[in-house]
Amino acid sequence: MSTGLRRTLAVARKTLSQFRHDRRTLGFVVAMPLLMVVVFGYTFGGEVHDVRTLVVNEDDGFLGNNSAERILTNVEGDTLDLVTWTGGLESAREEVAAGRAWAVIAFPANFSARLVTRNATITLMLDGSSPPITTAVTAKLLAAIQKSFPGSLLTLDRDYVYGSEDTRFIDSFAPGVVALAVMMVTTILSVIMVVRERGGGILERLFSTSLRPVEFVLGLALALAVIALAQSTVVLGAALLLFQVKVVGNIALAFALLLLFAIGNQGLGIMMSSAAKNELQAIQFVPLVLFPSLLLTGVFFPLEAIPGGLRPLSYFVPLTYAADGLRSVMLRGWGLGDLQVALDVLVLVVYDVLTLLGASLFVRRQA
Amino acid sequence: MATRGPAVVCRDVAKSFGDIEALRGVSLEIPWGVTFGLLGPNGAGKTTLLRVWLGLTAPTSGTAKVLDHDIPPRAVLPKIGYMPQDLAVYLDLTVAENLALFGRLVGMEEDAIDRRTDEVLKIVDIAERRDSLVSTLSGGMRRRASLAAALLHDPDLLLLDEPTVGVDPELRAAFWVYFRDLTKRGKTVLITTHYMEEASNCDVAALMHRGRLLICEAPAAIKAKTGARNLDDAFLSLVREANAA
Repeated sequence: MSTGLRRTLAVARKTLSQFRHDRRTLGFVVAMPLLMVVVFGYTFGGEVHDVRTLVVNEDDGFLGNNSAERILTNVEGDTLDLVTWTGGLESAREEVAAGRAWAVIAFPANFSARLVTRNATITLMLDGSSPPITTAVTAKLLAAIQKSFPGSLLTLDRDYVYGSEDTRFIDSFAPGVVALAVMMVTTILSVIMVVRERGGGILERLFSTSLRPVEFVLGLALALAVIALAQSTVVLGAALLLFQVKVVGNIALAFALLLLFAIGNQGLGIMMSSAAKNELQAIQFVPLVLFPSLLLTGVFFPLEAIPGGLRPLSYFVPLTYAADGLRSVMLRGWGLGDLQVALDVLVLVVYDVLTLLGASLFVRRQA
Repeated sequence: MATRGPAVVCRDVAKSFGDIEALRGVSLEIPWGVTFGLLGPNGAGKTTLLRVWLGLTAPTSGTAKVLDHDIPPRAVLPKIGYMPQDLAVYLDLTVAENLALFGRLVGMEEDAIDRRTDEVLKIVDIAERRDSLVSTLSGGMRRRASLAAALLHDPDLLLLDEPTVGVDPELRAAFWVYFRDLTKRGKTVLITTHYMEEASNCDVAALMHRGRLLICEAPAAIKAKTGARNLDDAFLSLVREANAA
């Protein structure tokens, strides 16, 4: 074994020993991302349900058929909590205005009759302050109309190229949350570890043994990669078990992507540590890393939802590529043969090389 | 001995940090097989000089050779044992794990690390704390663990920055006996200290003051030159002379 590799492994080994002794940090490494997945999972993962919706049904039917009733019985699932309202349209509107209901569905008196002549109107009043609820109510009502009168007007035939009618929001953001959790922990840990070693004079002592900066950085990267691997297993495991997140692709490739991402973050963390004089300052970097990653990377909002002026910034945040790669692998079942995944991998490799080189330069200066 | 020149030699070494001149043209030679005391008050430049020799900081001007290698002496660093003034051991590792790390970094084999760990921990008198986390040790014990890490690979040159701070007098005396043993085996031991009475244990003592070397002689010669009864008085008169100049 070359002496350089021995020294690199020595650094990796001592770093893992530090974690072994520091159970609390080890707990933080596993518990923090687990908490993130659970909180995000339960907050965003649950579909909208029991939306209080008032029904003002004045339809008096036509030839013994009440079309409004037919539509209402075809409203499926527990998304809408339909409440028959007899107080009239105006008072129903006041209920929505007072925040006691989210929506009003109103059928006029001659609804069934007008339906025959094809100029019937249903009035849907909405509290538009919550787009997810607006979308859910509208979708449920349209589905019920279509089910009640199949083929009568226009049929929408949906063909899911990826995912299915059952794909939930959590399925789409779980890959991103896993990457986000790995990023938080690897970046923060490497910033703090290097700041602490420099403060205690250890960094200087290490370099008095002929250890090279690049060996130190690689050793640390190796140890944190092991930690990130264990962490990803826990987080992905939780997403699969607790929220039955769908994975149709190659899980090994998903792990490989996470590892590439973790190594780059660690390099970035070391570079940031050179700007922090102590651990307190190091912690201040958390929001700096967290917010662009949360908002600009397509983890929660698609890149298409980011304003055009800001979107170029998204392509400079590494999490964009990690989240996209993971999502493509886990949900679309893509592999390295697919251009987009190959591109994500390539960008992450470049990220690793640049940050590790940068970190080696910075570490030497810090000693 | 493979090396022929002095263990350390430096010529006109100067080092500035911005406006602060930490070293102002220091020239000295440290022969093989001596205990060399580098003395001086805080801020005299002792630590900076050590860091220059180790290649941890580049001098502003001047040259130096350590174990016959120009600085930075990368190739011979594994033959040097360095104990910095800062603690410089991992608090969240055991004593043995710290030693193993430094042993591996200087290229020692695992069985040699194991054997030497037992030996050096006996020397610094913390053998029973081998598997304790350093964070659970007292301040003095932590410094002894740091000294043990410097001794582990039986280096040819020891650079010890204030090794006796926080060590009780009995153990301090034992350390000096051990350092003497090392020099008998041809090793060179450099110790920085601000305890003047320790200088009398050295073969050669050098006094630094404000980045300058005031004197570098055997303790007896220093006393003779200054006409003082002890080294304390000798150094005081040298410092007064320097301040007046």
